[in-house]
Amino acid sequence: MYNILFPGIIFCFLIGAVFSILFNRNDRLANHISLLSASIASILGIIFSLSVVFGDSFSLSISGSSYLKFGFFVDRLSAFFILIISIAVFAVSIYSIGYIREYYGKKNIGYLGFLYNIFILSMILVVSANNAIMFLIVWELMSVVSYFLVIFEHEKAETRKAGFIYILMTHIGTGFILLSFLIMAGASGSYSFESFSAYGSTMPPFLKDITFLFTLIGFGTKAGIVPLHIWLPYAHPAAPGNVSALMSGVMIKTAIYMMIRVFFGFLGGGVIWWGFLVLAIGVISALLGIMYAVIESDIKRMLAFSSIENIGIILIGLGASLIFYASGNPGLSALAAIAAFYHLLNHSVFKGLLFMGAGSIIYSTHTKNIEQLGGLIKKMPVVSVLFLIGVLSISALPPFSGFVSEWLTLQALLMSFGSSDSFTRIVLPVSAAALALTGALAAFCFLKTFGMGFLALPRSEHAEHAKDPNMPMLLGMGIFALLSILLGILPVYVLPFIGMIASTFTGASVIDQPFSYGVFGTITLPANRIYLSTPVLFSIILILILITTGLYLGSRRKNKLYETWGCGQPVSTARNEYTATAFSKPVQIWFRNIYRPIRELHAAYTVSPLIKESFKFELKIEQTFERYLYSPMVDLILRISRQIKMIQTGSIHAYLSYIFGTLVILMMFIILGGS
Amino acid sequence: MEEVIFGSNIMQLLIALILVSTFMILGSTRLYSCVRAFGIQSFLLACVAGVVGFSTGKYDLYIIALLTLLLKAAVIPYIFIYIIREIKVKREIALYVGISPSLITGGILVVISYYLIRSINAITGLSSFALSASMSLVSIGLFVMISRKKAIMQMLGILIMENGLFLGAISLTNGMPLLVEIGVFFDVLIGVLIMGILIFRINKTFETIDTDKLKTLIG
Repeated sequence: MYNILFPGIIFCFLIGAVFSILFNRNDRLANHISLLSASIASILGIIFSLSVVFGDSFSLSISGSSYLKFGFFVDRLSAFFILIISIAVFAVSIYSIGYIREYYGKKNIGYLGFLYNIFILSMILVVSANNAIMFLIVWELMSVVSYFLVIFEHEKAETRKAGFIYILMTHIGTGFILLSFLIMAGASGSYSFESFSAYGSTMPPFLKDITFLFTLIGFGTKAGIVPLHIWLPYAHPAAPGNVSALMSGVMIKTAIYMMIRVFFGFLGGGVIWWGFLVLAIGVISALLGIMYAVIESDIKRMLAFSSIENIGIILIGLGASLIFYASGNPGLSALAAIAAFYHLLNHSVFKGLLFMGAGSIIYSTHTKNIEQLGGLIKKMPVVSVLFLIGVLSISALPPFSGFVSEWLTLQALLMSFGSSDSFTRIVLPVSAAALALTGALAAFCFLKTFGMGFLALPRSEHAEHAKDPNMPMLLGMGIFALLSILLGILPVYVLPFIGMIASTFTGASVIDQPFSYGVFGTITLPANRIYLSTPVLFSIILILILITTGLYLGSRRKNKLYETWGCGQPVSTARNEYTATAFSKPVQIWFRNIYRPIRELHAAYTVSPLIKESFKFELKIEQTFERYLYSPMVDLILRISRQIKMIQTGSIHAYLSYIFGTLVILMMFIILGGS
Repeated sequence: MEEVIFGSNIMQLLIALILVSTFMILGSTRLYSCVRAFGIQSFLLACVAGVVGFSTGKYDLYIIALLTLLLKAAVIPYIFIYIIREIKVKREIALYVGISPSLITGGILVVISYYLIRSINAITGLSSFALSASMSLVSIGLFVMISRKKAIMQMLGILIMENGLFLGAISLTNGMPLLVEIGVFFDVLIGVLIMGILIFRINKTFETIDTDKLKTLIG
């Protein structure tokens, strides 16, 4: 059956793309056509991927030429990613039906629908390509189309800047990917992924290391690992809300897909330091990502930084998996990989939810700044509840989804105590500590976001007139919120499925399966006799909440209503409120060596220097990497370019002379070489 | 067969005359005489096409010869003269490289071209004589574009290069298919018209067609 399904998915997206362009005179029609076909395609995608996971792998060949065999190959690993993409696309498409209304009459909706469909199609093709050339084509398509989506609101200068940084970084990444593919193609004599996986592991160790590093840099740029992340906090906020949800939730995951494919599939696991490197990058990304998220007051930028953090967590799992794999412990390797995969799935769900929530806030308040929000829980009750679910999930609080995957990652790291290698025994628990710190900071960050954004009094006109957005938007978010809860409470039904996928590349057999599943949805890690029963946990939390509420209601205290933060003052306004910046100040002080803030104090004097008219205090926190790593690099390139520019004189005659000189030199070359 | 055609004295004479006309362009300081030399060159080229047509019996080469005569020896020179008259440009051509160095460079280029063609082993025999002349025309045309300041001379330079290519094509293939040739003629004509319009626009905007002044387009 899935011989028809896969072309069907492609066909649906193409229909959506073409028809939304054709009907771009009619905004409503174009929007509905593009989103309807995208949702149909995503439903097909869900069916298709599930049938691949539970059935056989799927392959489809387009060209029969012996030199370049273009085609698709979908095994369980690819199917898992198609599933993630499809779920996200389904929810986001429903959400977009409402969200795009904001652009009616202002922007070309048909064009947006076209890009949207092609973007999703390219992501699906990226995870199902079976040939390096084919892969590069669709990868490039994905990058370019997402670039156009990022600069969709190109009338803003900052959006254009974001787009530029994005396309620059993504092409640097593609350069490295190309190099690594060329190395593997050189070793295997063909560009097909099949031969990569056949010959990749037989390459000499030196070449393998180089390939590993290039792949890590190339795909790491797309995934947003520190220090290659600089495009992410620019590009994700600049794109329209629904697109940011897809970019952050899904697109950066395609890079993780290829990392797994290359590290495990093509290079065959490799040596142990690969794992340590990936783990280190994961830890650094997670910590720095969340640190910058904490101090950010632009809600979408904050979410973008948090994506860096979550990619870091996924990479921690992946790194641990590589370490265990290289040290010959496939069971633990599978456990770590399962943790990474589960977090990947969860992140695409809750980050999609949060980005859509941020989109809803912007939709009704027209501001991204948390400092200008406040009191939204009364104005937008439904969005608030849904956003809260996302916040609780990403903060890894039980019984929501983020908790399960981070718990698994921690368990996998802590199980290294049994390892025979002492270095592993030291490094992995330390990483676990860093992961715990990350979790705490994430909770802090999202507490700030929710507290400042949704509680207290409205801080601006914008927030005061906010109201819940339209039905499709709420529905789209609702799907993700429900999934977040389900993934949190019932992982016992999802984990075997992910275990099957992980076993395809970690090689852990059924006996090595790290889990056993008991009653009450209990997950047991037999090695350490650790049990986790999320439904029981959920019930306990529910009962606690009920008891507290009951006690609260039962006490029948007489409540007197005062203004919030009144402090006995007669007047209480939004100006008296605690601000987001103030809330995150402690973190900023603890980690000031990392933030390296720039403080400037300007004082304006009157006649006498003793009497000051006004003070202006400025505090800037720049990206450390931009300042210390990228700026010097950019300066160097500019200096070289200025040298090279000398040959650009502006005179036609000079340019012609260059041609003439080259011609004469070539002629002499032939004459001297020929005689 | 080729050797018979191009070995014939008349062909050698024609090709030598074409080179002479090229040196006339290099050696003159006035626009009109440059255009006249170009007309002569095109006329000689038409003769070459005619002679090749006569000796190979390919009669479509007569059509090409006729078209060359009409377009390159009449219409294009007329367009040149029209432009020169309309924009009231000074009749002298401004130079970067003086007349005598230009002539010497031209001579060197001919020698280089001759050796170049000789050293390509694939082409032997006497058709290499025509081919080296064609190579000289291309390189001298480029040199004209570099060494003359007025935009008209750049236009003329590119036409000399085109003539060189025409000579090369005819000497290698004994006449390309008619359709291709007509296409090329059409290209040249349109090219000349567009360049003519551009020169008018340049003159209107900058009040000069001295390309020496157009140097501000740099990054």
